[in-house]
This record gives sequence, structure tokens and C-alpha cells, in this order.
Amino acid sequence: MAKVNRTRSTSPPDGGWGWMIVAGCFLVTICTRAVTRCISIFFVEFQTYFTQDYAQTAWIHSIVDCVTMLCAPLGSVVSNHLSCQVGIMLGGLLASTGFILGSFATSLKHLYLTLGVLTGLGFALCYSPAIAMVGKYFNRRKALAYGIAMSGSGIGTFILAPVVQLLIEQFSWRGALLILGGFVLNLCVCGALMRPITLKEDHATPEQNYVCRTQKEDLKRVSPYSSLTKEWAQTCLCCCLQQEYRFLLMSDFVVLAISVLFMAYGCSPLFVYLVPYALSVGVSHQQAAFLMSILGVIDIIGNITFGWLTNRRCLKNYHYICYLFAVGMDGFCYLCLPMLQSLPLLVPFSCTFGYFDGAYVTLIPVVTAEIVGTTSLSSALGVVYFLHAVPYLVSPPIAGWLVDTTGSYTAAFLLCGFSMIFSSVLLGFARLVKRMRKTQLQFIAKESDPKLQLWTNGAVAYSVTRELDQKHGESVATAMPGYSPT
Amino acid sequence: MEGRAPRDRLRGVVQDGRAPPIPPFLQRPVRGTGSGLRATGECAQGLPAPASRGSSPPGPRRTPGAMRALSGLLGARAPTPRLLLLLQCLLATARPGSADDSAPDSPFTSPPVREEMLEKYSNFSLENHNISLTEHSSMPVEKNITLERASNIKLTCQFTTSGDLNAVNVTWKKDDELLENNYLVNATGSTLYTQYRFTIMNSKQMGSYSCFFQEEKEQKGTFNFKVPELHGKNKPLISYVGDSTVLTCKCQNCVPLNWTWYHSNGSVQVPVGVQMNKYVINETYANETKLKIKQLLEEDGGSYWCRALFQLGESEGHIELVVLSYLVPLKPFFAIVAEVVLLVAIILLCEKYTQKNKKHSDEGREFEQIEQLKSDDSNGIENNVPRLRKNESTGQ
Repeated sequence: MAKVNRTRSTSPPDGGWGWMIVAGCFLVTICTRAVTRCISIFFVEFQTYFTQDYAQTAWIHSIVDCVTMLCAPLGSVVSNHLSCQVGIMLGGLLASTGFILGSFATSLKHLYLTLGVLTGLGFALCYSPAIAMVGKYFNRRKALAYGIAMSGSGIGTFILAPVVQLLIEQFSWRGALLILGGFVLNLCVCGALMRPITLKEDHATPEQNYVCRTQKEDLKRVSPYSSLTKEWAQTCLCCCLQQEYRFLLMSDFVVLAISVLFMAYGCSPLFVYLVPYALSVGVSHQQAAFLMSILGVIDIIGNITFGWLTNRRCLKNYHYICYLFAVGMDGFCYLCLPMLQSLPLLVPFSCTFGYFDGAYVTLIPVVTAEIVGTTSLSSALGVVYFLHAVPYLVSPPIAGWLVDTTGSYTAAFLLCGFSMIFSSVLLGFARLVKRMRKTQLQFIAKESDPKLQLWTNGAVAYSVTRELDQKHGESVATAMPGYSPT
Repeated sequence: MEGRAPRDRLRGVVQDGRAPPIPPFLQRPVRGTGSGLRATGECAQGLPAPASRGSSPPGPRRTPGAMRALSGLLGARAPTPRLLLLLQCLLATARPGSADDSAPDSPFTSPPVREEMLEKYSNFSLENHNISLTEHSSMPVEKNITLERASNIKLTCQFTTSGDLNAVNVTWKKDDELLENNYLVNATGSTLYTQYRFTIMNSKQMGSYSCFFQEEKEQKGTFNFKVPELHGKNKPLISYVGDSTVLTCKCQNCVPLNWTWYHSNGSVQVPVGVQMNKYVINETYANETKLKIKQLLEEDGGSYWCRALFQLGESEGHIELVVLSYLVPLKPFFAIVAEVVLLVAIILLCEKYTQKNKKHSDEGREFEQIEQLKSDDSNGIENNVPRLRKNESTGQ
């Protein structure tokens, strides 16, 4: 008897091996986001060794951040086509190689290439696949799982910063980079944890899958003929890419993408300009550093508690609105910031902003998963993080230019606040429009109900109403072209 | 000396042959006239001091010239020392002050030699320092002053007491040696002011200058003069064999005349020579020096000293250099790599094991289902349907 290759499709386990996936994703966020933030601790050493000024050395951090976000779609493509495990392990090896080569650097340009581009690429291959994997394993407890997984960046920065300082004191920056390269190799361990899982949803569109698969088989058969293979390869690639990225045409996703652009523009300057602003209003250096630590710690608390909170029964179906609320509150905090001119006022600001910053970071993957579904989550997350890259790169210099020309921080903070509020308002508006359309259609559907109800008794009548239903469905479709049963 | 009235002090000192202090009628000038105070100060500076006292301000150098000039003015007959001093003081009071205080108008002109000497020292900056003491001060008050170049110094101590101001004995000391002259005392209300003016020109004149107020208890105020200090780093600088490193010595707010580097591996200090391939000294800014060492070897480790030379002394900074070999960070690195490889191997093996188990259980279940179907063939269709359904639900 021929063996049947059964791919066992399940529903998300919401536990079990899922918690190992969460642990793996937690470690991935530590090794990528926290290590990126700790690279700035090396700057003083690079400045004295290479005798360059701060602006030249700060480029390393910008390059890593930018490359990590820009290549996020590449990461999701690799993990979709090869496998999540292979993708993350490859990323871990690349990032580790970047650090190890960086420890032998003889000039700042070498560091740009090794520590900047190579490590950033490695991180990009790990970050979005790991986050997407958590979404696959969790359904009901998704927000809590993401909260725990994303808190890795805050906790990691908290723990790694003194450790990196200690390493630099013991082994100087070369030895510290080498050992950090070994630490980053733990990404391979995280990769090994990411066991693949096939979900029921993956078989939602069997037709397109079948078309792609047959094309792949044809490709293997006609491999001797080189010209044909090129054509086949191109069509196959187009077909596969088309299928993977069809969520880009969804109106919901486009709205989310635009709002993410504005939100990313707004959130990044605060971490750069809070300390200079605090110093300009008369807060001492130590107190300003204390404000930043509060921001970091409350960020972690916001991650975990908001994830837990939005999993409660009352808020379970309102992830979208919670996300809106968190982004809006952050924007509101920004608008209040120019009025806060002393330390007792800045501490509650730090707490509030940090909490909601952690909150919306937890909810980004949840909201994306709700819009595109779990199959395309990996690619969608890749695109969402890609959209973070350009605002992250562009926003702090623009804020800096505003501060220099106007002479105060008010204009920069107001711009960021309005950007974030616009992002949240846009999402709320889109949801409102969608709801209005739904109620309109429901209203029209209700009007035709009485006729159907007469015919719903008995099996014979059922078939009659079904015919009528079909006819009505057709008529409804012709009357309102935008109608689609959701 | 303690407990005596100023008048007695004056007489006693003259009898001993030491430099006479300020004449009594000039010691307590009218309230509010700073010029009077100034005049007496200058007078005090111009008075002769014994040559044996090396730590005293440069009075001795001035006095022979002043004496000669005065004798020249007064005629061939050398007047008595006391009369000379009196005349000198009168002339000094007539002279206008050299600093901020208002000058008294006087018909007298100052002797030319005195002018010249004062002009030499008027190029230096004037430093004013004050200490306040009360009768209830429990601890001696200290003030630290950093000086890098020669300057004129004016030290003022004020003492507030409820008791009798005349009963207070005022003295000045430098490093436990008594200073006899050149200081003045002034009383305003319940506060006693004493002022000491001098010029610091070389490192021997640096040290601690103290004012003492003796009532029942002795109250002390100290001014400590030091050259600017170089702050060395507490933590050692780490580098590797074959690498290059930069040692920096910086002086905040001061400009040394010269920098030198020394290396000590053990106890002997060896000056660092400028060998072209090995050491490069870079002094782009006057207040910092950078020593770049290339091609490091293990022997290059140890203590490095940077010495800053000032007009008034020297200051040293210390940097510790540790040279490691590349094997030192490689050990933790390989430990972490070994841990990663081990964990990855364990996790992948676990995964394969659980997959095998699942496959076996799958195959087992398939086999069971096939067997059941075969056995059910004989039964009716109705029995099959519910059983199949049950199998399907358990199979998933």
C-alpha cells in the first residue's frame, strides 16, 4: 500500500511548544534589539582609538538599525522559502561573523561594513521570522505571548549595558566585540527552537498553491533546456511572490502601512532628545539619565502588562482600538512635553510615554495578524518593519534641524506628537468607515429578510429559499458593486 | 609673642634686631578707608626683614635699596633705623595704591626704586582669598588654591568674636614657620580683619599659609597653595600584542610649560624617548599630551607617568597599561561557541526524536484504521459511518 504523505494541519496550540517559541523569540529580541542599543557603548572607545568625532562613530548605530529594518522583507522571504529554522540560523551566523570581523578592524570604514552592514543583515534575517512564528503558535493568548517576547529588548538593554561595559574594561573593545559575537551566536539556538507548524489556514487557497506547485514540478522536469528554465523560473517567481504579497492590495493593510509610517516618524526622536531637553530645562545629568532608565524599565512593564490586559475577556476583541489608544496617548504625551519644565513633571511623563510605547510595540504584530491572517504574517511583518526604517533614519535629523533653527524643542515635539495622533486618527477613521459600510449592507440585507423567513420551515422549503437566496444574492450583488460578504 | 599688645610687639621686635612691624599709629587706621590699609600694607612690604628667613616675602631685597635711597634723600648722615622707617612709612602712605582700592591724595612722591620694583610685580595677576572664623569655630578652616604662574597674593582672615578685640593675638605662619611682618590688622565693630600680602614667584614659596587668632582658644585658617593636579585614570588601559594604543594626559583649565613622559616597569622610572617607529608624542593642544605606542609588546605594559612642568612646580599623572595576548578573550569566546553547538545539537535531536515518535504513532494508527475497516467490511454501512467518524476525530 502506498504511503500517504500526511501533513498534519492543526490549530494554533496556544501553549505547549508555543512557550518555547516565545522563549526563543525573547532571546532573539535580546540578541538583536538590545545588542544594537548596546553598540553605542563602544563609541567612546572607537573615538579615542580611531581619533574620530562622535558624528562619524554614530553612523555605525544608524547603519545597523537601518539595515535591520530595510532587509526585514528579505528575512521573511528567506524564512518562507527555506524554513524558519534555517533562516534564523543563517542570520545568527552572519551577525556573529560581523562582530568577529569587526574585532580585527583597523579603521572606521571596516567597522561600517562589518559591524554595520553584515551584522544588520544577520539581524534582519532573524527578527521578523521569529516574531511571525509566535503568531503562528498562539491565537487566543497572542497579545500576552507577544508582550513577553517583545519585552526582550528592554530587559536585554537593562542587563547587557553593564555587562558590555564590564567586557570593555576587562578585554578592551576588540575582546569585547569578539565575546559579543559569541553571544550573538545564540541566535542559532533560537533558530533551532523554531519548529515548523502547518496551520489549517495554510490550505485556504488550494488552487493557487496547486498552480505554483505544478509549475515547480514542471521546472524540475525541463531543467536541461536552459532558455525554458529561465522563463519558467520567472513565472514561478512572479506567481509565488504574487501569492505571498497579495495582502499589499488589501485596503486595511494599506491604511495600516501609512499609519505605521507616521507612527515610526513620531516615536524615534524622543529617545534621542529627551536627555538634551531635560538638561535644557535645568535637570542635572544624573537626573536626566534616571529619566531614561525609567523610560526603559516602564517600557518593559508596558510590554508585558498591556499584552496580558488586552487578552482579558473584555478587551479581547478590541486589539485594534487598544493599539489606536496607545499610539494616541503617546502623541498626546508629546504635545504636553513642551509645557513640562521641571523634574517632578518629567518623571510622570517618562512613565506614561514608556508604558504606552511598550504597549503599542506589543500590539503591532497582533494587529497585523488580524488584518492579513497567519499565513502571510511573516511577509506582512517584514513589510511593516521595512516601513519603520526610513522614518527612523530621517526623523532624528529633522528634529535636530528644527531644534537648531527655532532654538527650542517645542516645534520638534509638536511635530512628532501630531504625527502620532494623525496615525491613530487615520486608523480610527478607517475602522469607522468600514463599520459604516457594514451597517449599511446589513440594513439592506435585513430589508429582504421577511420574504425568506416564510420559507425557512422544512427541508423542502429550505431548498426553495436557497434558490431564492441565490437569486437575491445576485440581485444584491448587481445593485451594489462594492458588496462582499465578510 | 602671644598676649602682647601690638605696641609691645613692635618694641620687642625692634629690640631683638628683627624687622620692625608697622608703626602703631598706622596699625589701626580710620574705618572705611581702604587706602589707609593699603598704605600700611605697602609700608609693611617695604620694611626690612632679616635675611636669615628664607620663607619670608621678598622684603629683604627691597630694603637695602630703599634704605640707600632714603639715606640719599636725607643727606650724608645715616639716620637712625627707626626714623628712617617712620619717614619711609610716611612716604608710603603718600603714594597711591597699585590695585583696585582708591588712592589717597598726597603731596609726596614715592621713591623711584620702589616704583620700579612694584611695577615689576604689577604684571602678575592679583589673587584675593578670604577666610571667615568665629570664636565658636570647632574645626580649622582650610582653603585650597591652585596656582600655575607667579602672582601677587592677598590673603584676608576675619575673626568675629563677642569678646574684647584688643585681647586677640593675631599671627601668620607659613608651614609652621612664623611670619613676622607684612601683615596688618584692622578692627571693624566686632570683627577683626587681618591681611597678608606677598608675591609667589617660585616653587619654594608654595605651601600652606595660616592665620591664627588667639583668644582663649586658638582659631586657625589655612590657605593651601598647590600647582594644578593631573587626574590620572583609575582603571588600567587594556591593549593587545601587536596593536597600537594612545595614552592621554589632560590638564583642565591650565597650560603647562612642558610635558614629559616616563615609563616604569618595576621601580625605575625611565624617560620615554621618541623612537620613530615606536613612540609618537602628539601635542596639538597646550593643555593635553598624547603618547601613541605602536607594535605593542608584553614588556610595554606597566605604569606610565606624564609630568607637567609649571612655573611654580611640577605635577604628575599616572596611567596603567596592560598588554594582553589574543588568547585571553578567545577562551570565553570558545566556551560560548561550545555551549551554542551543544544546545543546537540537543534541540535538533529532540525534534527528530519527537518527530519519529509521532510518525510511529501515526503509522500505528493508520494500521489500526485499515484493520478496523477490513473487519468492518462484513458489517452494515450504518455501523461503519459512526466508527469512521470517531476514528477521524481521534486521529486529528
